[in-house]
Amino acid sequence: MNPLYVWLRIKHLGMLSAFCTLLLVVGACTAPVAPVEPAESNTTTDSTENSAGEEADPFAPVEASAEQVVIRVGTGDSGEGLAPHQEIIRRFEEANPDVKVQLEPVSGNDYYARLLTQIAAGDAPDIMNIGDDAVPRFVESDAFIPLQSFIDDSNFDTSVYLSGLLAPGTFDGELYFLPKDYSPLAVYYNERIFDENGVDYPEDGWTWDDFLATAQALTIDDNGDGTPETWGIQLPGPWTTGFEYWVAAAGGQLISDDGSTYLGYMDSEEVISAVEFYQSLYTEFGVAPPPADMSAFGGGNAEFDNGQAAMRIFGRWPQSGMMENPNIDLGVVGVPAGVERANVLFWGGFGIFSGTEHPDEAWRFLQFYAGPDGAEVWKDWALPAVTSIAEESGVMTDSINGVWIKELDHLAPRAYMSTPYWGSSADPALRSALEAAILDPEADVAALMSQAATIAQDELEFSLE
Amino acid sequence: MHKKVRRETWAFYLCISPWLIGFLLFVVGPMIASFYISFTRWNLIEEARWVGMANFERLFLRDAKFWQSLRVTLLFTLLYVPTELVGGLGLALLMNQKIRGIKIVRTIYYLPSVLAGVAYVVVWMWMLNPEGGLVNGALAVFGIQGPRWLTDPDTALYAIWLMSIWGLGRTAIIYLAGLQGVPPALYEAASLDGARAGRLFWNITVPLITPTIFFNLILSIISTFQTFTSAYVSTNGGPLDSTLFYVLYIYQQAFGSFRMGYSSAMAWILFVIILVLTLIVVRSSSRWVYYEGEAT
Repeated sequence: MNPLYVWLRIKHLGMLSAFCTLLLVVGACTAPVAPVEPAESNTTTDSTENSAGEEADPFAPVEASAEQVVIRVGTGDSGEGLAPHQEIIRRFEEANPDVKVQLEPVSGNDYYARLLTQIAAGDAPDIMNIGDDAVPRFVESDAFIPLQSFIDDSNFDTSVYLSGLLAPGTFDGELYFLPKDYSPLAVYYNERIFDENGVDYPEDGWTWDDFLATAQALTIDDNGDGTPETWGIQLPGPWTTGFEYWVAAAGGQLISDDGSTYLGYMDSEEVISAVEFYQSLYTEFGVAPPPADMSAFGGGNAEFDNGQAAMRIFGRWPQSGMMENPNIDLGVVGVPAGVERANVLFWGGFGIFSGTEHPDEAWRFLQFYAGPDGAEVWKDWALPAVTSIAEESGVMTDSINGVWIKELDHLAPRAYMSTPYWGSSADPALRSALEAAILDPEADVAALMSQAATIAQDELEFSLE
Repeated sequence: MHKKVRRETWAFYLCISPWLIGFLLFVVGPMIASFYISFTRWNLIEEARWVGMANFERLFLRDAKFWQSLRVTLLFTLLYVPTELVGGLGLALLMNQKIRGIKIVRTIYYLPSVLAGVAYVVVWMWMLNPEGGLVNGALAVFGIQGPRWLTDPDTALYAIWLMSIWGLGRTAIIYLAGLQGVPPALYEAASLDGARAGRLFWNITVPLITPTIFFNLILSIISTFQTFTSAYVSTNGGPLDSTLFYVLYIYQQAFGSFRMGYSSAMAWILFVIILVLTLIVVRSSSRWVYYEGEAT
């Protein structure tokens, strides 16, 4: 994914004014124009790769006749990413002439801040699209309605979804969200580089040892200047949520199941061994190019796209670009197993606002939007969430797309599921520790993780005060 | 007479009322609100909860990142304000030459200042890219292995300093106005008495543009303390918090962690810091700023 696309999505005035309000305290507000951070919330949607920098026009309120009910839908998608939403809405309105659906896109980082203020004012959209890590925060604030009673009343079959896709929308045992789009991690590989060097393609069921050996065989420094011309594996730098895979594969977890502590988890032997292995790929074995950009969530490297890296571990978001890339003969394989065969899921879903005046109409639309009817449309844009649609469209058996679906059988719980404060406590601490480990080959990983756990715990307790 | 004065007073306030109303509504109002919020815990959704001095206590006593962000911001201010003052003046002196095409030269130097912050930061990120970036490419021509700039905690702040130099045009334009306000007669008189370029500069130009230097100094301190865009776009505070500017940390706390009270407290601390620094500069100005017509 070209970082430019992410950067150039210049943000809305709304966020700016909110931020200026803070800044105004310091006198002359110079109104910095902040860009859209490559927030992980965006990564749950395939549309990130489609939105080529343009902002959607502000959507005018829809005209509704007297007997029609208007349902508002909030989404963080923008640009071309809005097309599937609009298509589903068109189909729904055709079948349900008594309901009008008004799409309210807010692209970028200010999406959640905007939703939070709307929720506080009781004026949020009836249906909202949010990313996985935001679920606990929103649910704890009572912003969404549990869906079970609707499901019972309408006999909606929740078993239509592929495995693991309801878990991120479930909090404290209650289902609040239906899935929109998702991606696990997988390993992309460039068949051409494998062929040129006579290395076998990786196969599902491979291990960290196989992974390291393959990466070493494909790290090639032809001219002997110490910098390889071809790298074995492009890694996503200090990207914390992607790192959860390594933790799970090492048999560890970052937070206690009850969400109360990081101590004994972030600094556990398993987590330390995950960080050490990850670090060694950069430092000791030198099979991964150093991050080109610490701020980008994927490390900002371009080696794989340029045909200078044999493998890349990442989500499905840049896949369509890679398939068209002349430097790459693309293959995709499941992530390697460490102590455990594990993967992590990135996910976006839809829920119903607790303050909605039309819960029944909202549910009727939600069923359509996130159910089999909607999946008919989503399948052309992202991996479909509904099993029957995935089967019909041939995704399941596709040699590339099928890999992503199979990875759903190995999902480990994401850390954010245990606490609403993951993002303000452990995430920055883990990021700093990963940065330090990647940058400094001599770094004492055990000490780094012990420090990170202490900081994360302090921040967590402050948030819980 | 009195009546006329009063009417003029009314007209004056009427004329500035659009600004005044905007100022009250969008500056004073939010300031009062954020002052209150700084003593609360508030996540935007739930009711704000009064916590007294707890936010300030944590900031000063227990938040290492707060001190790190202050350190980064102060270091950058010490680095950048002199650069802006001296570099801007140098640029203005060049722009003040009477040569052909000078207006085009002025435009070129000023141009980066009108670019949106994000756009030029992205351009700089490409230029500073350790792999195949323009800057390290140029250094390689001379056989120098360039640093890793934004991805190395030892160089990241200097990389941002380098980017910021692009904004010198703005300062230079203000200097230019000051330079052009220096009466040519003074230079002529001094030249007749045998003064050379150096003396002309130190004894005529500098004293006469001290009001402009003063103005630029205050503006520069305020804007440098509020550095945000370049770090937000290029590093997000990293690596290892080496570019964690104060305002970036406010932003992260406010819109990353939704700690509105905590971030408002930080904003007020920054307000006080800038206020104190500005007052010190203003107080000192009577010693080194000369206004024309002022007896010395």
